[in-house]
Amino acid sequence: MSATAGVALGYEPLAERERGAGRLWIAAGGSHVVPAVGAAFKAALLAAVLELRPRSDARVVVLGLETDALSPTARAALRAQIAFLPAGGGLISHLNGWENIALPLGFHAPDRLRGLAPQVYAMLEQFGADARSLLGRLPEEMTPYEKKLAGYVRMRLGRPRLVLAEDPGAGLGAGERARAGEFAAAYLADCPEGTFVQLADVPDESG
Amino acid sequence: MIGVYRELEGTMRLAAHVLRRLWVLKLPPVAEELVRQIYFTGASATATIVIRGALVGTLIIAYVIEVLNADVSLAVKILLWVVLREIGPLIAAVLVIQRSGTAVATELALMKISGELASLRHMRIDPQDYLAVPRVLGIALANTALTVYVQFIAVGGGMLLSALVIDASLGEMAGSFFLLASPLDLVYSIAKSLLFGAAIGVIACYYGLNPPGNSINAVPKAAISAVTQATLAVMLLNILFAYLVYGSALFGLFTAAQ
Repeated sequence: MSATAGVALGYEPLAERERGAGRLWIAAGGSHVVPAVGAAFKAALLAAVLELRPRSDARVVVLGLETDALSPTARAALRAQIAFLPAGGGLISHLNGWENIALPLGFHAPDRLRGLAPQVYAMLEQFGADARSLLGRLPEEMTPYEKKLAGYVRMRLGRPRLVLAEDPGAGLGAGERARAGEFAAAYLADCPEGTFVQLADVPDESG
Repeated sequence: MIGVYRELEGTMRLAAHVLRRLWVLKLPPVAEELVRQIYFTGASATATIVIRGALVGTLIIAYVIEVLNADVSLAVKILLWVVLREIGPLIAAVLVIQRSGTAVATELALMKISGELASLRHMRIDPQDYLAVPRVLGIALANTALTVYVQFIAVGGGMLLSALVIDASLGEMAGSFFLLASPLDLVYSIAKSLLFGAAIGVIACYYGLNPPGNSINAVPKAAISAVTQATLAVMLLNILFAYLVYGSALFGLFTAAQ
């Protein structure tokens, strides 16, 4: 059995290997919080995991596979199982809520668009949003929580096995923060074999 | 010089990408972008562009008739050769550059600096597929439709004006015009408009997707580059077409048809 079999995400920058610093090794399944991630580390990690190109500066393991050893086809198949959820939702500004949520499926699985609405409505309402109103609005007309929620629903529809998320509660009030805190649990209830990795920001100590 | 070469190479690469990936238009989100672009460049701009184009076309006719003291035959030749073949496509292209070229370059540059292109990549969507392909095709199609509108109104206006100035009946003018015109004129102006529109779309998308920096200051720079280079490209293409038609290569085709 491979040493990486039970690993959802492994990231080891080679320059820091001997010191053991900056090493990230996350077991498959469940929700994980990676505390105090600096901007540079996060950028390098996301580039490595989302691009999955062979790298000379880091060893990357995703869903049990050493990414350097993969063929382009296998790499594309693996990449389809990874999703990134940015703090702001990552919405496209000229598309309304529905168009934003349906965008990736329109590209990668257009046949799934039919019959999608009930699923989307259910997920939005589960998290306290007025679905009809949200789906018809542009991102600039949404609250920060609604943007995060739209991005989250879009991510869920892709059924990824590995989710990398920036802190879903960042910048929200207490009530919305509590709701956003349920994102990981709801994802895992829907996708028990999945792994939800939350990248917490380094606390701002300047103030 | 290296910068110019890089921009030219990038534009040609984007043009090749658009041609190679036209099939993505069958995907629902891309088809929606195409409809949106045609509506923005074509339908929503029709009134302003056609009025401005028709005014310029009619003014040219009035000026040329006055200066050359034209008769029916010369006025009709001017309408056909100058307004229909040259001024119509050129006016439509310049107005589309002003309106859609700037809008597309600005929109895409803003998307780039606000991280939306990165968001598309995170969703495994190639921004060139989703943003450039429908915009280039949409601008090409809308520019062609606008050219036909401008030609129709400019030639109609020119005939009305000529009939008044040179004391000839409108029927006589129209008869001479349709006798002289051939289907090749229509093919020529449609081919030219499609190419002008595609060039405008590719150049606007290229500068929008590759703004010179990641700050808000890069947005107007991208728009200026798009307008300047698209205008230059349209002028160069116009010269190329003029050479093909009025130069040695194909001139015989047109003179034989007339």
